[in-house]
Amino acid sequence: MGLGVILVASILCLTGCWGKREVEELAPLIGVGFDLGEKPGTFLITHQYSVPKKGGSTGSEIEDRTFSIEASSARESIEKISKVTFRSPFMGSLKVMVIGEDLAKAGDFNDILDFAQRFAEFRRSMYLVLAKGKAQDILNTKLRSGLLPAMAIKNTIEGGDEISCFPTVRLGHYLTILGTKITAPILPVVESVKSGEGLEYKAKGNDEAGEIRLQGAGVLRGDHFIDFLSNEETKGYMWLENDVLHRLISTVGIEEDKVNFAGHVLKSKTKYKVQDIDGTIGLHYQIKASIAVDEVLGVKKQFSNPEWLELMKGAEKSLAKVIEKECKLSIKKERELGLDFLGIGRHIEQKNPKYWKTIKDDWEGKIADFPLSLDVQVVIHHSGMSGSSATTNSPGEGQE
Amino acid sequence: MERISQHQFMTLGAAVLMGTTFFPIASVVTGVGGRDGWMSVLPGFAVGIPYGLMVLSLVKRYPGKNLLQISETLFGKWIGKVIGVLYILITGYFGGLLLGQVGDIYQASAMPLTPISVFYLGGMLVVFCLVWSGIEVFARFSEVVFSVTVIALLLEVGLSIPRIEQGELFPILSEGFKPLFWGGIKVVPFAMEYILFLAGLAAFLPSSMSNQAMGQLKAGVWRAVLVVGILNTLVTLMQILVFGPTETIRLVYGLLVLGNIVEVSRTIAGVETLFLGVWLGALVIKVSAFYFTVLWGLETVFSLQGLKWNLAVGIVFLGIAFMFTRGHSLIQEIGFVDNYLIFPFAAVWILALWGVAIWKKRTST
Repeated sequence: MGLGVILVASILCLTGCWGKREVEELAPLIGVGFDLGEKPGTFLITHQYSVPKKGGSTGSEIEDRTFSIEASSARESIEKISKVTFRSPFMGSLKVMVIGEDLAKAGDFNDILDFAQRFAEFRRSMYLVLAKGKAQDILNTKLRSGLLPAMAIKNTIEGGDEISCFPTVRLGHYLTILGTKITAPILPVVESVKSGEGLEYKAKGNDEAGEIRLQGAGVLRGDHFIDFLSNEETKGYMWLENDVLHRLISTVGIEEDKVNFAGHVLKSKTKYKVQDIDGTIGLHYQIKASIAVDEVLGVKKQFSNPEWLELMKGAEKSLAKVIEKECKLSIKKERELGLDFLGIGRHIEQKNPKYWKTIKDDWEGKIADFPLSLDVQVVIHHSGMSGSSATTNSPGEGQE
Repeated sequence: MERISQHQFMTLGAAVLMGTTFFPIASVVTGVGGRDGWMSVLPGFAVGIPYGLMVLSLVKRYPGKNLLQISETLFGKWIGKVIGVLYILITGYFGGLLLGQVGDIYQASAMPLTPISVFYLGGMLVVFCLVWSGIEVFARFSEVVFSVTVIALLLEVGLSIPRIEQGELFPILSEGFKPLFWGGIKVVPFAMEYILFLAGLAAFLPSSMSNQAMGQLKAGVWRAVLVVGILNTLVTLMQILVFGPTETIRLVYGLLVLGNIVEVSRTIAGVETLFLGVWLGALVIKVSAFYFTVLWGLETVFSLQGLKWNLAVGIVFLGIAFMFTRGHSLIQEIGFVDNYLIFPFAAVWILALWGVAIWKKRTST
């Protein structure tokens, strides 16, 4: 009997009723943006909450509730926001953190990220992105799709494997890279896109962006922004980092050939070897990609089977050149910046730790002329549902 | 007197040896052994095998006695009493600190608004119930909780695979074997905690043992050590693979962070609270084990037993827990007791006791 009473008492004590928070009292935080505050030592922190849409046709419809607060710490911003909203912010739902360009350039944004990696409610699996411009503007964009910008960024990142054009960086990954001390972190770049800026659409308001786009990346030294990578340089980074799952790829513009190819990458693998390159130890990249050709452009005649086979062999070489070009652009950028965002140092450390110990102290100084070589092999698995393309008869052809 | 079976000896031993080692182990071994720290976990735990076998050889020679009683027989009454007092103080202090960890981890990770005293009192009540029910009930409780702990750990390690970062495990052995040695040294205290528990548990083993029964007990020791060593190696390995060595060292409760980022088909996420439940069961086992050691010590050294002394030990445990409401000083103190009290005390005491027993046997023949 006595034991029973004690057991019941212990169960009651461990229910956690003291700290309970009802779901309807919580404001799920979906996105956070960090910009430089006007006052020194402050941040402009934008919180994007979702609230259930009243009268929505489904229970999952949500409305935007976004606030920007100037504060010197994340906790201070939450205190200020709690004064205007009756719900208490819930961090466990946070999907995206947007770092504003001005803050990234000023550096030291790790201070404001500290809360996210320390407070247990947050998840290290949230995504980090770098804004071109202000993070506040990105999160305040009224998207034509009706999605919250933070959700749109999350969805684009999670669908990013289909195109593998920008890196996926979770908070945990960023912290792991920082921990290596030799690799420069990289963040995907998000920008708002007005109609006409590489994309045409019917805008709702005047001169207001109605879409956001993830394109390119930003290279950091620690938590200081150094430079942007172009779209092509970022694609090169993706190949060299073995981050390409699927990719859409085209040879248009790579050669003067009249026939061009476009397709999608079925699978890709990048291997690293530390080996002798022109008499000194260097890093050799070997990229193997399997591609399916989806488009053949510029075909003016019907090909026989052997001719088509030859054409596809040519396509393999052309596609390899595209990959090679992207990789070389990325390597060139690494050398220019003198920052190891490609993680070459880590590859050397992994493959040849003895040699790494001899060069690690002056690694950044060696990046500019460190020997690198590249071997790209493409295999075209198929060219879709047809062999030769449909062709129109050229004048005179039918008369022959 | 209560007795436990050979199988219960194995599972109870494994449950006590495992305890909550899966929380600090990755940070501890990576802190001294770096990227290769995971390789030092199993050898570190394996130190428990020879010590466990020494305890069993003493049990065979002095059946029905715990090691405190054997110490009085072999070293003389007063030296035996001094050892007994040290045994009570060290295990009692450590048990109280572990009780304090219940509050620290729950407040830091899942229930920040609940008063810390609730965790202490709730945990203490469960521990008290178990201890009051006796060693046999405790052994059965351990059998159930240990199985759940193993399943939870394997599940967490498996579900974390998609979060592995490329190449974080390499290079292997770039700094040679020295870091492994230092990493192993940090693991040995965990094995010594188990040995201190075995020292008291010895009295509850079957008093007359055939060679076959003794063989089963010996197998129980190495099986317990291997299972716990391998599980902790996997836990450490996964944290290094996911977080990298620098972050693994920095994270206080890395396994919970790992649970926090586990995701199943973007549907189930953040299962760390489930692991917290398992961890509570494991911690209750560990605190109960040290509660038992204090009670055995009091009974052997001062002939103190009964509900009154049982409650007194509980109050002391609570007092120690309330002394360390600052999480960081609590973790530092646990590390201090492990490395500088439990490790040297158990390592020297058991070895000396076994050595003297062998020497006396030889001189008597």
